Amino acid sequence: MGVEELVASLGDNILTTSLGKLIGWGRGNSVWPAQFGLACCAIEMISTATAGVDIARFGSEAMRASPRQSDLLIVSGRVSQKMAPVLRTVYDQMPEPKWVISMGACASTGGVFNNYALLQGVDKIVPVDVYIPGCPPRPEDLLNALMILQERIKAQGLIPQS
Amino acid sequence: MIAEGAGGIPPLLTEIVIDRGVSAGDHWITVPAERIHDALLSLKDEGYRLLVFLSCVDHLADSSRDFPARFEIIYQLRDLDKPADIRVRAFVGGESPRIDSVHDLFPPANWDERETYDLFGIVFTGHPDLSRILMPDDWVGHPLRRDYPVGGEPVEFSEEHEMWQTAPEDA
Amino acid sequence: MIEDAQGVTVTKTGEQGAFGGELLTVNFGPHHPSTHGVLRLIVDLDGEQIRRIKPIIGYLHTGIEKQMEALRWQQGVVVTDRHDYLSPPINNLAYALAVEKLMGVDVPQRAQALRVIMSELTRLSSHLVWLGTSGIELGAMSVLMYCFRERDTILDMNEEISGFRMHTSYIRPGGVMADATPRFLELLDTFIRDMPGHIDEYEDLLTMNPIFRARTIGIGQLPLADAKVLGATGPMLRGSGMAWDLRKSMPYSGYENYDFEVATSKDCDCYGRYLVRIKEMREAVKILRQALDRLPDGPVNVDDRKFLPPPREELETSMEAVIHHFKLFTEGYSVPAGDVYVAVESGRGENGCYIVSDGTHKPRRVKFRAASFANLQALERMSLNHMVADMIAIIGTADTVLGDVDR
Repeated sequence: MGVEELVASLGDNILTTSLGKLIGWGRGNSVWPAQFGLACCAIEMISTATAGVDIARFGSEAMRASPRQSDLLIVSGRVSQKMAPVLRTVYDQMPEPKWVISMGACASTGGVFNNYALLQGVDKIVPVDVYIPGCPPRPEDLLNALMILQERIKAQGLIPQS
Repeated sequence: MIAEGAGGIPPLLTEIVIDRGVSAGDHWITVPAERIHDALLSLKDEGYRLLVFLSCVDHLADSSRDFPARFEIIYQLRDLDKPADIRVRAFVGGESPRIDSVHDLFPPANWDERETYDLFGIVFTGHPDLSRILMPDDWVGHPLRRDYPVGGEPVEFSEEHEMWQTAPEDA
Repeated sequence: MIEDAQGVTVTKTGEQGAFGGELLTVNFGPHHPSTHGVLRLIVDLDGEQIRRIKPIIGYLHTGIEKQMEALRWQQGVVVTDRHDYLSPPINNLAYALAVEKLMGVDVPQRAQALRVIMSELTRLSSHLVWLGTSGIELGAMSVLMYCFRERDTILDMNEEISGFRMHTSYIRPGGVMADATPRFLELLDTFIRDMPGHIDEYEDLLTMNPIFRARTIGIGQLPLADAKVLGATGPMLRGSGMAWDLRKSMPYSGYENYDFEVATSKDCDCYGRYLVRIKEMREAVKILRQALDRLPDGPVNVDDRKFLPPPREELETSMEAVIHHFKLFTEGYSVPAGDVYVAVESGRGENGCYIVSDGTHKPRRVKFRAASFANLQALERMSLNHMVADMIAIIGTADTVLGDVDR
């Protein structure tokens, strides 16, 4: 892509690294999740958005309904065989740069349900950045994962690798 | 509770019922699969107007009791006024098991029969829209049959399991 | 106009709409912010009015019933938590009562009282989620914050008594997981004192709110005859006027000893169901107060070593205890052959568990009678000729949990 080659040709000088830090800081502190609440983990995700835990202070206040307006896909809950194509479609609709947090045991590995009906881990169809174990994980676990993701985004600078 | 001969079982039903009993406090009757519509109509007229649920049990390789056929379709009916429950059983078997649909008597049976068709392969004749409801439309097989495998993946344990006990270097 | 099997009047698609154009078919979901989960609706619209709704489910089908056939009886409790994920202890209760009925055991009084306490706390937490999410869909965002604040208190209590916030697996065949700690009883006492004030707060925000009333009064009418015919239970049936509550009509686990009223409403609309659920929350607090005051002493588990494992201290001294422990954790107990159906009243309606045993240590069949499965079939009847915006209010009032529908 043109922008990446331009940036690579400029090299790592004081201008690009400072700009990279600034952009990374901006991007990291305003990660907007797309609502993809499927099952029980979705309720804990809603708890994370409420006043007790408050994901808004990390910049993720705006949980957009439309994937085209969001950066982060929090797959919270079990993904069944019927839902898998829908998940992939929603992921494809998100513009770059985008990240995926796989929340909970069912999204990460299939969880308690090792059977015909569930996808044994969403990393079979979308690339995952952070996995959160738990059934369901505490709201604070989701915040922890978000913080890990933010560190990663800030470290990536101008051109992020999704 | 349905009482024998005390006016509890309607006359049409007494000639259809093949077997009856009580299992852990629940009253049940067995009727032939061809007469299921008449039996449920009879019970509905008697006051059992709510179909609580409809489902199927697969008795493949079950040596605990004798069963007339492989699939047992169960209908749990309830009389809200008494209140009393009764369970009606019908046995079907063979390569493609079929039984009459009762959606015209009990509307909740509409989705229950679709689910039983989807998961067990029982065809309900007369159902307005017998299609898969829980599995994807192009799924092959009927998952809840006993000869269908549970599926899933074998759980692998990493040989480097001890190394995972410490926190990874970069989060 | 034609009538379908349910006696519901629908138009055939392709028919002319009121303004001369054809009907528009719109797809809602399964990824949709307001459908309370992964529900897909295909809606035929005549302008803004709904002429036909067809729900398509199965996007959360987890194979729970098949999974339970692969697990032993005591392992299955963990999986029962997860089908109606807003009220896990109530699911556990249905399964535990069914297994105990087949085994022919009765749990001690203290266990029954603790089960009632957990069920009522869960009913409250489930209604709080309903109120919060319905509120936010109708635009009342602060209601969500208030409701989840109380829900966090309930989840703290869950964590105190069982170690888990949501999927407690606390109620098990044979009794409960562990006795209530003194801190749990303190938290419960404070909660019971504070909760009626909080329910007053929610009522202050919503009950006489003109916007909320305009969006819910007269919307989603479900006449009593239709509710009965369509098999609706729970607040859907009670909101149409029938005082049917399993806790009163077919009591279980000692509910006959508690004094509470069954909430009903003659309005048959969304507002009526809202009032029913608010009243149910108040009655739940009443039951909790009675249960806490009268909590009997005694054991919390059936004293049968072939059913439940011995306490760990006994393993150091008794060989027999070691053998029982070993047998129970490797093979598990066997339930006598037979079948039974037990229904309990959850926040949504009748949640039942039908189990079939073939005498071995794994079930032959476990079927969950899901309240939301039946209630969702009433959606079409309730939303005919309403506007699209009302459909959101109607889905909210049905309070369906897709995990329950799809299992």
